[in-house]
Formats: sequence, C-alpha cells, structure tokens
Amino acid sequence: MPNAMTSRERVFAALRNEPTDRTPICNPTSVATVELMDLVDAPFPQANREPELMARLAATGYTELGFDTIMPVFTIIQESSALGCKIQWEQKDNWPTVKMREPIWEDVDDIVIPNDFLTHPDTQCVLEAIKILKKEYGNEVAIIGKTMGPWSLGYHCFGVEPFLLLSLDDPGKTKLALDRMKEATVQFGIAQIEAGADALTLPDHATGDLVSGEYYQRYLRDLHIEFVDRIPIPLILHICGRTVDRMEYIAQTGMAAFHYDSKNEPKESMDIVKKRIALVGNINNPETLFSKEPEDVKAEVIKNLEAGVPLIGPECAIPLQTTIENLQAIPEAVRGWHSENTSTT
Amino acid sequence: MQRVVDIGRRIELVPMDPHFNDITIGLYRQNTNHGNNTPVFLVHTYSHISGAADRIETVVKAMQVLGGMLKNDDGLLHFPCNSAHEAACRRVFLEACKLAPDTPAEPRPLNTLDKKSKLTITVDSTGKGVYRVTAEGEGRSAARRIFAIAGGLAKLGEMETVETDNRDTVTFACEQSHDALVGLLLTRAPNVRIVLRQEEMGSARGVLSAPSQQT
Repeated sequence: MPNAMTSRERVFAALRNEPTDRTPICNPTSVATVELMDLVDAPFPQANREPELMARLAATGYTELGFDTIMPVFTIIQESSALGCKIQWEQKDNWPTVKMREPIWEDVDDIVIPNDFLTHPDTQCVLEAIKILKKEYGNEVAIIGKTMGPWSLGYHCFGVEPFLLLSLDDPGKTKLALDRMKEATVQFGIAQIEAGADALTLPDHATGDLVSGEYYQRYLRDLHIEFVDRIPIPLILHICGRTVDRMEYIAQTGMAAFHYDSKNEPKESMDIVKKRIALVGNINNPETLFSKEPEDVKAEVIKNLEAGVPLIGPECAIPLQTTIENLQAIPEAVRGWHSENTSTT
Repeated sequence: MQRVVDIGRRIELVPMDPHFNDITIGLYRQNTNHGNNTPVFLVHTYSHISGAADRIETVVKAMQVLGGMLKNDDGLLHFPCNSAHEAACRRVFLEACKLAPDTPAEPRPLNTLDKKSKLTITVDSTGKGVYRVTAEGEGRSAARRIFAIAGGLAKLGEMETVETDNRDTVTFACEQSHDALVGLLLTRAPNVRIVLRQEEMGSARGVLSAPSQQT
C-alpha cells in the first residue's frame, strides 16, 4: 500500500513497533548542510539562535531531502548554554561547542537549574521553532525535538575528564549529580512536548569509546527508565560509538527507539534488542555520507532494511559539508527497496 | 515543493566564500556536454541573495582564465581537450574562489620562485601534453626540488610521470597542452603536501564529534 500513511503516521507506527506502509526515513539528529543553509537563507550560527531560521532550515529535511521527520535542534548545546556554560558559537561551516575547559560546576552542590532555564534565549529558540514547525507541518510530518541526558550535561558542565574521574572515584556523588541534572532533561523535554514535539531524541553520551556497558547499567539504565515514565512521548535514545555491550540494557528501558552508530552491525544489533526497542540510524557519517557516493549510501541503507531495522537514517548529526545527493540517496534507497520487494512478493 | 534539483555530482566545495557574504559555492560534474558524453562542470550556489549570481559568474570567468577552460552555451565549463582533468579542475575552482573580485584574473606564468631552494623553477611545454621542469639560480638541491615539483604537478593535476633520468617530466593523458592550467598548478606544486593537508583540515570542519571527543 504505497504512501497509505502520512510521514507522521509512519514514524509513529514504527516507534510503536506497529506495521508501516514502508520503512520511515528518520533523522533523530541534524541533517543540516551548508548548502541547505544557503537555499533557505538560514546559516549557522544564527539558525541555532533564531527560531524562524531554525525552523526554516530544519524543514528542508522534509521538503528537500524527503525524510519523514523534521528535527530542528541541530546542536547539543542549547540547554548547556541555558545552564550557564560558555559557548563557542563558531561560523556557518562549523558546530557550536561548549567550552568544556571552562566548566561551570566543580561539585554536586554547585548543580543548579536556573529559574530562567526554559526562558533563556537558547532554549526558547528551540521551543519557538517547534511551535512554528508544528503549525506548518504538524499534520503531515513527525516533529522531533531533543533534550540532552544528564551524562552529556555532566560532560558539558563539569568537563569530560573531571566528570569521568568523579564517576570512578565517587559513584554516590555521581549518581547524585545525575539525579540533579536529570531535572533539566525532563523540564526541557516536557516544554518541547507542550510546544508540539511528537517525539524526542535523548542523547546521553555514554559512548562506546569511554564508558563500558556495565557503566551504562550502573548509572544510566534506571534513569532512562524514569525518563520514559516522566516524559510522555516516544523517546529516541542516542549514544555514539560501539554500543552492543549495552544494547541489552538499553532495550530494557522502554524507550521507543535507539539511535545507533555505524560501528554496530545492523543484524547483530537487531538480534540483541529483538523487538523491545526500535533501531534507527547506522548510516555512516564521516566516511560514507561525507566522502563516498550515493551508491555507497544506498548499500548501507539496504543492509539496514534487510536486517529489519524499522527506521532508517544517518547515525548522528551529519557533517555540514555533506552533499545533498548523498542525503537524497537515503529515501531513494528506501523507496526503491520497498518497490522491489513489493513487486517480487 | 522541492527546490533542490539534480545538477550533477559535487566534486568540490567552498563552504564559506570569503569574498561574498559567506555563501557556499559548489563545483559539480556532469557527464554530458550537449549530448557528447564528455565531462562538463557547473559552478553553483544555492544562495538566492542579491549578487550571488554575479559572484558565480565572476568565479566562472576566473576559471576560464586561470585554467584555460571554455564555457558552453549552457554556462558549463570544460577543457578544450574534452577530458575531465577532475583534480585539476577542482584546483582551478578553488583558486578562482580565492581571487578577490576586484583583482583581475590573469594566467599564471610558467615559472615561479621556489622559496625553499631560492631557485627559479620553469615548466616548458614540449608538445603533446608533455611538460618538463627545470631550475635556474644559485639554490641548493636543484635535482631534488625539480623532482618534488614535478611530483607536485602530477599530484595536483592527475598528470602522469614520464620516466626520465632527471625525473623532471610529466604529461597529461589527453596528450594536449594546457599551459594556463600548468601555470596555475605550478603556484601550489612546490608545497603540495601543505596544500593537501590544509584542504584535509578544511574539509574536516563541520564534522561533529561526540562530547567525549571535544575539548
């Protein structure tokens, strides 16, 4: 049944593990490029700070690339900025980053969610952009917001090394810190739901290169279960790197989906999570989408489709210089694969 | 309504044009020149801001002068030999974008002062697309620099190295002369490693790393 569902219905169904007319193409993180910025006159860094520009650039993921989702929160720093971190906003061709060498907190007792957290210009920008997108595209496309998890906020606010050392030296304090920071995650998440978000990406960078599966189980699994209880829309957990050692725990959280990295094989990952959580992502950014040809992109898409991955998309925020034709190859491959499989079955 | 159209395969990008409002300019390769099945190149920006089209025209004109390229009726660029010379075309594009709009594009000479050796390096066309590198002056290590610069030309222009005793000769596979192009490549050939490293670093901008890998 070709295109029997709207993009929004398709994404919702896949996130609920229900049948779809075709596999949805989903970007839980940014698909903004410098060329798309020009197309709609919404360049970085302004498109991270002005809601109209943020919404306009985000919409190109649907209008130009053919994805089934629109995700306006390009960066991972909006709430850290509102918490008081210093931000390097960069230029059009680069990502803003938190100046983690200048941490704002040293001790658990320093953790304070400011009263203006949700009215700060950099969190407000996201909320206003979601409202604009909801009004314009809300009936047809799934609008995905983003709220950063406490582990990521810990890196930003304490600095990566101090936070990791704290987790080694004092597990009790670390849990207390996570417990306090999680309120920012919940507050920003709920505010985005009120603004019109259909689902939320929840990046929590317990990444494969620095943190073990056991760490995930010890510090984050229960917190993530709590997020599912407190944030009442589908959540898409995002963790970079090789994460098969924690996918079992992730599958136990009740999150709707896990946005997974190309360092994990699709079939091996599907075998672990079974149908307890949807997988999305896996199309490699720095090599395939950035440097290779559309045919290479399509090959990775098909590998995911054949493994039964229920939502297809890039593994993380795509490089800003990615070609538009490589991004368009993702929906082309999905549609082509379904059309071939429909005609032969 | 979709506004992005199929304009070919992007082979090079200037993400922020230093001379015009930080617009992004791309170089795209198409594989048919009026149905001739020969490669042509499009300079394109998605920017609609006032003056963007003029800026693209300036870059196209500069590429014609700096690289000896021709423009067809559709505004697409190609080399007179109808070969792709893709790597060389990318270099022409990058140099054309660097040129300030108020600086007239002029063909680069076939000689240059090599700052490393203080030698004057000259490239002579010996016909059929073959170019020989020679050196004049008081500098040291002439043979080594000639070899390095010939190698730089080969790398930047995807030229072939001709086996000679001095390892000083390179040639285009199309067997046709490209004096303007060689003059342009010669400006970068003495520092080819630095040039390529800088470009690699430039293209790595905009690749997001996980917070754990940021500083």
